[in-house]
Amino acid sequence: MASPMWFEIFRQLFDRPFTNPFPVKYAPKNMHAVAKAIEEGKVRINPPVPVPDNFRGKIEYDREACIGCRMCIKVCPANAIEFVPPPDGGPKGGKVKFYMSRCTFCELCTEICPKHCIRMSTEFLMADTNKYSDNLVITDSGRFAEQPPPQAPPKPASPPDAGQQPASGE
Amino acid sequence: MMDINDLYVRMLLGVLAMLAAVVVGLAYKGIDRKIAAHMQSRIGPPLRQPFRDISKLMQKETITPDGAVDWIFHGMPVIGLVAALLLVLYIPWGPLSPPLKAHGDLILVLYLLIIPSLAMALGGFSSGSPVAAIGAQREMVMMMSYEFPLAIVILSLAWFYTRVLPGSAPFAFTTMEAAPIWGLVGPIGFIGAVLLLLSLVVVTPSELSKIPFDAPEAETELGGGLMAEYSGRDLAMFYIADAVKGLVMAAIIVGLFFPHPLSPIVEKYYALPLIMDQPVVAWIIDGLFFLFKVFLVLFATVTTVRVAFPRLKIDKISYIYLVPVSLMALAGTLLLYLDTLGGV
Amino acid sequence: MSKCSYTLPIGPVHPALKEPTMFKFVMDGEIVKEVDVQPGVNHRGIEFIGMRRNPLQVLHLAERICGICSIVHQYAFTMASEKAAGINDIPERAQYIRTIMAELERIHSHVLWAGVAAHELGFDTLLHWTWKLREDVQDVLEYISGNRVNYAMYYQGGVRRDISPEKIPRIKEMISAYRREFQKLADAFLEDPLFKHRTVNVGVLTKKDALETSAVGPTTRGSGVPKDVRVDQPYGGYADLDLKPCLPEQMGYPNTGDTYAKTVVRILEVGQSLDIIEFCLDNMPPGPIRWEMNVNKVLMHMKKAGGEAIGMTEAPRGEMIHYVRLDPGDENVSAWKVRASTYNNIIAWQKMLVGAQIADVAIVAASIDPCIGCMDRVTVVDGETGKEGVMTKEDFYRLSVRKTRRLRRMKGKPSGGGW
Repeated sequence: MASPMWFEIFRQLFDRPFTNPFPVKYAPKNMHAVAKAIEEGKVRINPPVPVPDNFRGKIEYDREACIGCRMCIKVCPANAIEFVPPPDGGPKGGKVKFYMSRCTFCELCTEICPKHCIRMSTEFLMADTNKYSDNLVITDSGRFAEQPPPQAPPKPASPPDAGQQPASGE
Repeated sequence: MMDINDLYVRMLLGVLAMLAAVVVGLAYKGIDRKIAAHMQSRIGPPLRQPFRDISKLMQKETITPDGAVDWIFHGMPVIGLVAALLLVLYIPWGPLSPPLKAHGDLILVLYLLIIPSLAMALGGFSSGSPVAAIGAQREMVMMMSYEFPLAIVILSLAWFYTRVLPGSAPFAFTTMEAAPIWGLVGPIGFIGAVLLLLSLVVVTPSELSKIPFDAPEAETELGGGLMAEYSGRDLAMFYIADAVKGLVMAAIIVGLFFPHPLSPIVEKYYALPLIMDQPVVAWIIDGLFFLFKVFLVLFATVTTVRVAFPRLKIDKISYIYLVPVSLMALAGTLLLYLDTLGGV
Repeated sequence: MSKCSYTLPIGPVHPALKEPTMFKFVMDGEIVKEVDVQPGVNHRGIEFIGMRRNPLQVLHLAERICGICSIVHQYAFTMASEKAAGINDIPERAQYIRTIMAELERIHSHVLWAGVAAHELGFDTLLHWTWKLREDVQDVLEYISGNRVNYAMYYQGGVRRDISPEKIPRIKEMISAYRREFQKLADAFLEDPLFKHRTVNVGVLTKKDALETSAVGPTTRGSGVPKDVRVDQPYGGYADLDLKPCLPEQMGYPNTGDTYAKTVVRILEVGQSLDIIEFCLDNMPPGPIRWEMNVNKVLMHMKKAGGEAIGMTEAPRGEMIHYVRLDPGDENVSAWKVRASTYNNIIAWQKMLVGAQIADVAIVAASIDPCIGCMDRVTVVDGETGKEGVMTKEDFYRLSVRKTRRLRRMKGKPSGGGW
């Protein structure tokens, strides 16, 4: 009956559990109360697993830079983007609105945006009881500090010695 | 004959023992879940989770399925719980002798042990669900298989005591407590006693329907099996009965094989005058030591086993109990017999 | 012995089934006499949703057909739509990255399966241990693509993210960790006497049955049929590799087609996948990762293009086919049909489950690694009587004639050849 697992079982008994206890070790009786206490800084939470740099999280939108070209609406697989017509009803100056409750985090809008005014942050804590809450409908995230976007379009990173070659030349 | 005051004292003691057994049994369930979780590299539920489960189940609706035989379906949890609680009265709890020790012995304990399983099987049959019926069939098959080695172990122990200590009550726990088996056997008998202990250890998980012998419940096959239709208060009663039965099984193993108290050793090596004067201190030390022994037994027979093995099929379970385990128990009996020959 | 048999339903929701489907067993005691599989409770109409979206959007919809093997659906759809739109110059580097992603996913899918199989046997410790190991490959997938489950990596004409040289050490580290740790885990499965007791000669699919039911993937390879799309019709980076289908006999176990043999195949395939990833990392050609950097241009190209094509990949569960048709001028996908590998494999259930014990049903059902979400079909229910029916070939013929007539009326096209 000896199995390679036996050793592992007793080793794990004295190891730290593998489970990541984020945000708290045991489910609290009242999650809302705990969430409130965390916001007020009364409860210390265990940190989440760090996300990679290219993580696709909550969308950030530079409303001022947007030219209302609707490209993002065209490619969005989940129809999570709504067009907001300009207040004067003119042909120019329309903006968009993102509904994060529908977003599938595919990053296509970020990639296709000609003005690079959409980007994806690393924020992932978006649970909410109301899918139209202010936290989940993104209308403006302020000006982006630097204009070159972090992800789009991806740089064709190749070994340093090999330069970029034309696609069909291979 | 006891007088009327003695009766009241005993009744009070009995009720207290039952309550304590429920609390301690549930606490051991919590410890078991926590340790199993750590063995699987999980955090696991908090220790008080079984108590929370019970209080939650008590608040839930108790559903009667269509086609169930109503009175059997709702009666069986009560019978299972009552039988499990009755067991508490006949088993020594460390320094505390059984509240009804003069009125029942190991034979009664053997019978009472069957009743919760039988109640579960009958409840499963009466629920009218095919899944529960399969689970109940399996429970019956399993019961028939493991009762045989269990009976061999207990009978051969009793027989051994009649041989070695003629005139003692062979089926009373007090006999084992007065003279633990390890002091009475020679080297051959020692091996025999170990074999009997091992048989009892193998019987324990199936008595409690734990993996690898949980075929009657078999979550991934039968979706809870004979428990499938139970909910609310009925399920809570079975849950408590299971917890108490776990404690009782461990207490039986401790009572039969390891009834040693700790206080004489403490007294001898540390020579604390306090213990000499205060029996309460000795009582506390022995009580804690008993709880620790029960924990060790449960850890070895339930927690480790259920973590380390997959579920067995019912035909294999039957085979294991009827052939290898029974043979092991019989071999133990034979060795004990040889030992008594040598002793005479 | 007993003359009376009874019916035991398992499903649509049952702890043994990770996704909803329905079994009806005719039982004789503990033995299964007859099996009836009745899927149709998990159909989501994804193909229909896809026909209202352009190929770029469908990429991410295809990814969500399956929660486990998401990337193979995307891979098959990408290949089908590329062929249909006439995009042929896919850079080699992109092909290698596609291969690496697909193989990483195969590892995670097989390890996940192993955990599920252990759980079906009531072996939860092994389940937790396997899934703990799976975290490593998930971390690498997240490290490469940004997210853990739906990677959004593929794209018509290339891939969307590169595996840059500084990322390679982390992946190599994972490979060596897996070579070390996975062997221990494989031993825990294959050497465990009780695991053998529960799997050897359980759910046997003979070679003849495997060929007759045209089972795919590890289900058929366990029976000794050397069928693997990566070998038979190589695509992507597989063409540069010298691959052989993994059969249980490579590990010294006969090709019996039982559950143990299927486990052996999957364990072998994890090792094979590690080798493939290592090869691809070492021999990744330099160059661009996309045929066309401008997303909008790709979109316009797909709108103008017309054609139909089939994309075939070897999913962790077996061969997977996507059929795509694009019409010129229509920016949406005009027709999209998914034939997931589980669709072939559930037919093998009929052969494997008869004669099994009820205790074996869970592990035998799990042994084909069923993905009901991928394959589920609609159930036709009569609205008035509530009766469920089975569609025959004649019914389908009648329905398709009716649909053709309706389409002709709608488009006002003259009848002729057409569709």
